[in-house]
Amino acid sequence: MDANGCVRPYYQPVAERFSRMSPEELEQKVKSLELLFLKQGVTFTVYGDERGTERVFPFDPVPRVIPAHEWEEVEAGLIQRITALNLFLYDIYHEQKILKDGIIPAEVVHSAAHFRPEFVGINVPRDTYIHVCGTDLIRDQDGRYLVLEDNGRCPSGVSYVLENRAAMKRVFPQLFGTSGVRSVDTYPADLRSVLQYIAPRQTAHPVCVLLTPGVHNSAYFEHSFLARQMGIEIVEGRDLVVLDGFVYMRTTHGLQQVDVIYRRIDDDFLDPKVFRKDSMLGVPGLVDSVRRGNVALANAIGTGVADDKVTYAYVPEMIQYYLGQDPILEQVPTYLAWRDGDRKYILENLPKLVVKAANESGGYGMLIGPQASKAEIEEFRGKILANPRNYIAQPVVYFSQHPTLVDGGFEGRHVDLRPFILCGETTKVLPGGLTRVALTRGSIVVNSSQGGGSKDTWVLAD
Amino acid sequence: MLSRVADHLYWMSRYIERAENIARLMQVSVELLLDSVAFGSQKADEYWTPVLAATAMEGAFRLLHPDPKPGDISHFLTLDERNPDSILSCVREARENARTVRDQISDEMWTELNALYLLVSSPTGVELLERSPQSFFEKIIHSSLQFDGITSATLSRTEGWNFLQLGRFLERADKTSRFLDIKTQTLSDSDHAVDSLQWGTILRACSAYAPYRRVHGGEVTLEKILDLLLFSVEFPRSVRFCVRMADEMLHAISETQTGRYSNPCEKLTGALLAKLSFASPAEALNIGLHQYIDELQVALNEAGQAVFETYVYIPQEYTKSLPATFVFDPLGTQQQQQQQQ
Repeated sequence: MDANGCVRPYYQPVAERFSRMSPEELEQKVKSLELLFLKQGVTFTVYGDERGTERVFPFDPVPRVIPAHEWEEVEAGLIQRITALNLFLYDIYHEQKILKDGIIPAEVVHSAAHFRPEFVGINVPRDTYIHVCGTDLIRDQDGRYLVLEDNGRCPSGVSYVLENRAAMKRVFPQLFGTSGVRSVDTYPADLRSVLQYIAPRQTAHPVCVLLTPGVHNSAYFEHSFLARQMGIEIVEGRDLVVLDGFVYMRTTHGLQQVDVIYRRIDDDFLDPKVFRKDSMLGVPGLVDSVRRGNVALANAIGTGVADDKVTYAYVPEMIQYYLGQDPILEQVPTYLAWRDGDRKYILENLPKLVVKAANESGGYGMLIGPQASKAEIEEFRGKILANPRNYIAQPVVYFSQHPTLVDGGFEGRHVDLRPFILCGETTKVLPGGLTRVALTRGSIVVNSSQGGGSKDTWVLAD
Repeated sequence: MLSRVADHLYWMSRYIERAENIARLMQVSVELLLDSVAFGSQKADEYWTPVLAATAMEGAFRLLHPDPKPGDISHFLTLDERNPDSILSCVREARENARTVRDQISDEMWTELNALYLLVSSPTGVELLERSPQSFFEKIIHSSLQFDGITSATLSRTEGWNFLQLGRFLERADKTSRFLDIKTQTLSDSDHAVDSLQWGTILRACSAYAPYRRVHGGEVTLEKILDLLLFSVEFPRSVRFCVRMADEMLHAISETQTGRYSNPCEKLTGALLAKLSFASPAEALNIGLHQYIDELQVALNEAGQAVFETYVYIPQEYTKSLPATFVFDPLGTQQQQQQQQ
């Protein structure tokens, strides 16, 4: 709806179609959607009990529609941002000019939990560090898109974008006929092209694999979905072996050399010889092979320094510094607890702010001031004082709401948007992305692990 | 194909075949009971005891139930999660293996197994078993057969197919032979009528009743049953048929000509196949049926072990590079720790 309470023109076809359905018909369609997801095993795993419970990611049938002109700007802004982030990563893993020029304080980078000083001076294929990025956007009261955070290590959720679309087509086929919705089908092929592009051996068919932590990981469905869609093997650490600096997978016909690894495990677990000694998920010798340039990783090691929430505060400066441009997408004002002035402000205004740990994701390690109890606020005060580097604070942005099916009727619920960006020979943004919706009234936490759901996201062709 | 993937495919089909066979045996046993006795009652347990023996889980059962109550055996065999070979556990294992290699199997295969798992692990499944055990077992059997059909109609005939079939046929050979063994353990003091009733049960558990009639006519004799269930070259549940299929699959995997062997598992299945091809019911009875079946099962186990060692097992030279200070930390925990942002 617009400010006058009218349906925005680009929502007309959707609104019309939904108004022609009775609540019972709608309920029944939603039920059939959830059953479909359950049968297909489109699930994520909730941790807690021993085995991990598989759940269907709640799905809301009302699609989010983004008109072409609006998307153009978002797309340009995302490409600009990821370009700057990759230049930043190249820089800090080489000459560190941006630190020497005083644009970003050196201590911010050096104290980042995911900075890997041992990779300074090591080259990565095509000088690209982040190949797959999921950038979270919200819209504020004025309808502006703001960047909430960058996810440049192992962003997840793209499988739901593809599965949501497939399910919508199956249940609401009529909706698509006239709407001119841009397709999302090419994502797996595009991702595969990116992987092939960074292969050290530029043969006709470089061997790419997806490295998963295993079947107990929350996103295992996505890993196996992507591997299947790309037509590549999904491997666990124990399937790989390093011999003389080359990586091989163990097949029924002996060892086969691997060129590119799309890894969905953290840096820390990649190689027990280099990082965590107790890692059972990694491959001994893998990091050495990466250093020698015999195998490529997507994303590269050490990208976490770029999606650190303290680094985030400096991205507008990066865009200026490397590209000489003004940021197309704005971001949320951020207070850094390690700066004395900011910390004082944060501690005095905790009930008004959102506090986040610098390296957490999934809605964990977060304080939402206005909704927090006194005890929670005091707990975070203690945490901030104990480790100021690890915390940032932002004003609460009551980001946009979207009509959502609740008990047979429609109500507004807060939504965010996670577009997926691929950096290979060219930089491509998947039209739309994952719209996550906070299903609880008034909640602004959209993470699947915290009771969020998702919607299909439509970018219109024109 | 990744060794680990081959292993998952092999076990996926072994477990679904296992669930099917347990269901088959229970289904015909229930039929025998239907006239007089209720499912799960005291008398019923007498019928379950041989079924328990056929799943080779008697020891585990006695451990859990030193003083069994009516219904304990049937629960143990169907929905008891503590029994790794209960129908529920087998279906769950089949499904978990399938989930791990979902990228390697067709969507339709996955959906079938997943639907079966969702049923047997749900209250609806429990209720179905109580209300109509026949329908419950039928559901398991049909779903397994459906899965087989879907596999055949949707899966490319590559290595994955071979491993999958290998698992299915080795399991089926094992179960058919175990079914025969049930009878040898209770042979002693039963009269002729009970005898042929029990043999009828076993034939029907193997879907072999009609084929038996067709080949051997009405009279039921032990020799003729063995001829069909052990040595038939045509009947798809006979031990010989299953071993021949397993042997073919192994040769397809290594691309070795049949009749030759390139690894220990082909040697074992080849030898077993030769033994079954040139044997007769009289020979088996001469040795003693129980003894003969025991030897068969040992050979089948060895073949399964050889498959693991040839294609799956991680040779020592690759694992020695693991750090010596290997801290125990359950794999699952680390898998869960990986941030998916």
